[in-house]
Amino acid sequence: MSEPAIVAEDLTYRYGDLLAVDHISFTVAPGEILGFLGPNGAGKSTTVKMLTGQLRPASGRALLLGIDVARHPKQVQARIGVCFEQPNLYEELSGVDNLSLFAKLFGVRDVDINALLRRVGLDGRGADLVGRYSKGMKQRLMIARALVNRPDILFLDEPTEGLDPTSAEAIRRVILEEQQRGATIFLTTHDMYEADRLCNRVAFINSGKIVALDTPHHLKQQYGKRMVRAEVVGSDGKLLTREIILDRPETPAEIADLLAHQQVVTLHSEEATLEDIFIRLTGRGLA
Amino acid sequence: MNAAAIWALIQKDARLYFANRLFALVTVLGLVAYAVIYFLLPATVDETLKVGLVIPEMPPALAEALADDAVVVQQFASDADLRTAVAAGEVTVGFAFPPDLFDQLRRGSRPAVELLLAPEVTPDFVSVYEAAARELSFNLTGQALPVTISEVILGPDLAGAQIAPRQRMLPLFAVLVLMVECLGLASLIAAEVEQGTIRALLVTPLTMRGLFIAKSLFGSLFAFVQAVILLAVTGGLAQAAFLNLTALLIGSVLMTGVAFLIASLGRDLMSVMGWGMLALLMMALPTFTVLIPGLAADWVRLIPTHYLVDTIYRSLNFGAGWAEVGGNLLPLAASALLLLALGMAILQRRFA
Repeated sequence: MSEPAIVAEDLTYRYGDLLAVDHISFTVAPGEILGFLGPNGAGKSTTVKMLTGQLRPASGRALLLGIDVARHPKQVQARIGVCFEQPNLYEELSGVDNLSLFAKLFGVRDVDINALLRRVGLDGRGADLVGRYSKGMKQRLMIARALVNRPDILFLDEPTEGLDPTSAEAIRRVILEEQQRGATIFLTTHDMYEADRLCNRVAFINSGKIVALDTPHHLKQQYGKRMVRAEVVGSDGKLLTREIILDRPETPAEIADLLAHQQVVTLHSEEATLEDIFIRLTGRGLA
Repeated sequence: MNAAAIWALIQKDARLYFANRLFALVTVLGLVAYAVIYFLLPATVDETLKVGLVIPEMPPALAEALADDAVVVQQFASDADLRTAVAAGEVTVGFAFPPDLFDQLRRGSRPAVELLLAPEVTPDFVSVYEAAARELSFNLTGQALPVTISEVILGPDLAGAQIAPRQRMLPLFAVLVLMVECLGLASLIAAEVEQGTIRALLVTPLTMRGLFIAKSLFGSLFAFVQAVILLAVTGGLAQAAFLNLTALLIGSVLMTGVAFLIASLGRDLMSVMGWGMLALLMMALPTFTVLIPGLAADWVRLIPTHYLVDTIYRSLNFGAGWAEVGGNLLPLAASALLLLALGMAILQRRFA
C-alpha cells in the first residue's frame, strides 16, 4: 500500500486562548479528493495553513509526501499548489504575467502558460490586466496559478464560493482532471453538493474537531434517513404530505397501502444530504 | 538562493511601481522638477550690503568708513523715505540720524540714532548692525576707533564665492529623491500585505530571506539610480564622485530600511502616506540646517541623513574628500543596516 499523501497527527493550534484546531488526526491517500467541510470559524483555514507551512502547529505534526511540513516547509511548498479563498493576484499585471512570475518562483521552465489558461477557460484573456477580470475569472486564474508547478497535492479553499455556474463548473472539471493526473486534492468547502459530487471522502470539522470522516455514501448510510415523500389528496380535498421511511420491514406494506387507498399526486424518493447529516452531528448548519 | 526568483520579483516590483500612476508621475516629474528648480535657482550669491542713511550731510570720516566694494550707501531725504525703502527690501539696513546731529554732537549731548531693520533680520545680525551704528556715530565725532582689527579666515575664504542657493539645495533634492522612492516601496509592500499576495508568494519555494533580498535590492537600486541621475544632471558628480556615489548608495539602503518600517506600520496607501510624511520630515531635517546655517543643534546628528547630507554638501561645496568626510560613512552605514534589520524584523511579523 502506498504512503499517504497527507498525514495529520494530533494537529493543534491556538489563537491566544481560543483553541482553533483541537488535536485532529487524519490521512489522505495519493490521488484522493478529501472534502474538508465545516462552518466559518470551525478551523478549516487554520488546518490548511498548518498543512501548507503557513502556520506552525502548537502541537502534533503534519507530513506531506512523507516530509515534515514544520521542519521543511520549502521542500513541501515546492510540491504543492494552494488556491486561496480570497483572490490574491497582482491586479496591475496581466494573467500571463501573474502565471509567469509564479512559474519562475517555482523554478518551472517548461510550463505552457497559454495551455494552462486554456484549461481554466481564460484563453484569449491572458494579456488583459487581472484588475479587469470578473470574480469568476480571477478564481479560475487562481486555480491556474496553483497548477503552475504541476503539484502533487492541491489545496483548494472554497474554490467555487460565490461564482456563477459556468465558472464553478469549469473549476470542478479542472479538479477532476487533476485527480485523473494523480494529484491529491484537499478541498475546503461548505458547498455540500460540490463535496458530494467531487470528494472520495469528506471530513466534518466543528469547533476545531473532526466529528466525522468517511465517504459521502457511508455517511448517508450511517447517519441519514432514506424515505419516500408523497403528496396525497385528503378527505377534505386538501393536499397532505406523507413520509414513509425506507429500509424497514413494514415499508413495502405502507407503500402498497398508500398506492391502493390514497389519491397520490406526487411521489418522490429522498435521501439525507450531507448538510442534514452535518446538522444532525453538530447541531448547527454550515453557513 | 534562487537568483532567477529574486530577479523575477525585482522585475515584478518595478512593473507594479510604474503601474501606480501616482508614483510613476511623482518619480519622473519629481526628478525633472528637482533638476529644473536647481537650474532656476541663482548660481551666485549677491554679497552686496545695501545701507540706507538719513543724515544732514555726509562727513568724510563716515564716507571713508563705508567705503567698501561690498557696501552700497544710499542717502534718503527723510526718515519716512528710509522706512519705506527698508520695508520694501531696497536696502538691507537703515540708519536714521537726527537732523540736528552735528549740533547735538557739538553740545556734547547724546543724539538718538534710529536703526531700521526688516522683520526677518535675525537677532545676531541686529547686534551686528547695532555695533555698526555705534561705530559710525563714533566716527562722526572725527575720531577713529582705538583698536586695530585684522581678519583671519579659518578654512577657504568664501568672500566673493559664497555657496549658491542651488548648491545648498542639492543635498535636499537628493534626500527627497530617496524619500519618494522610499514611500513608493513602502506602499508597494503595504499593498502586497493588504491584497494577500505576500501569502501567495510565501507558499512557494521562495523564502522570507529571498523575499527581503528582492525588496531591498529593488528599493535600494531604484532609489540610488534616481539620485545618481539627479546628481549627474546637476553636475554633482564632478567632484568626489566615488565618495558621493558611495554615500548615496548607503543612503538608499537607509531609506529602504525606513520604507520597511513605514510598511510595517501602514495598513493602506493613506496610512503609509501619513507615516511616510512623518519620516520624510525627520529625514529631511538635516538638510534644513544646510539651508539655514545656525539652525543646527547637536541632536540633528542623531538623524542618520545628517551624515549623508553633510558628506554631499561638504564634498560639493568645500572640496572635502575621504579624509574630511569619509568618517561620515561609518555612522551612515551602521544606521542603514540597523534600520534595515529592524524594518525586516517588524515586517516579517506582519507577513506571518
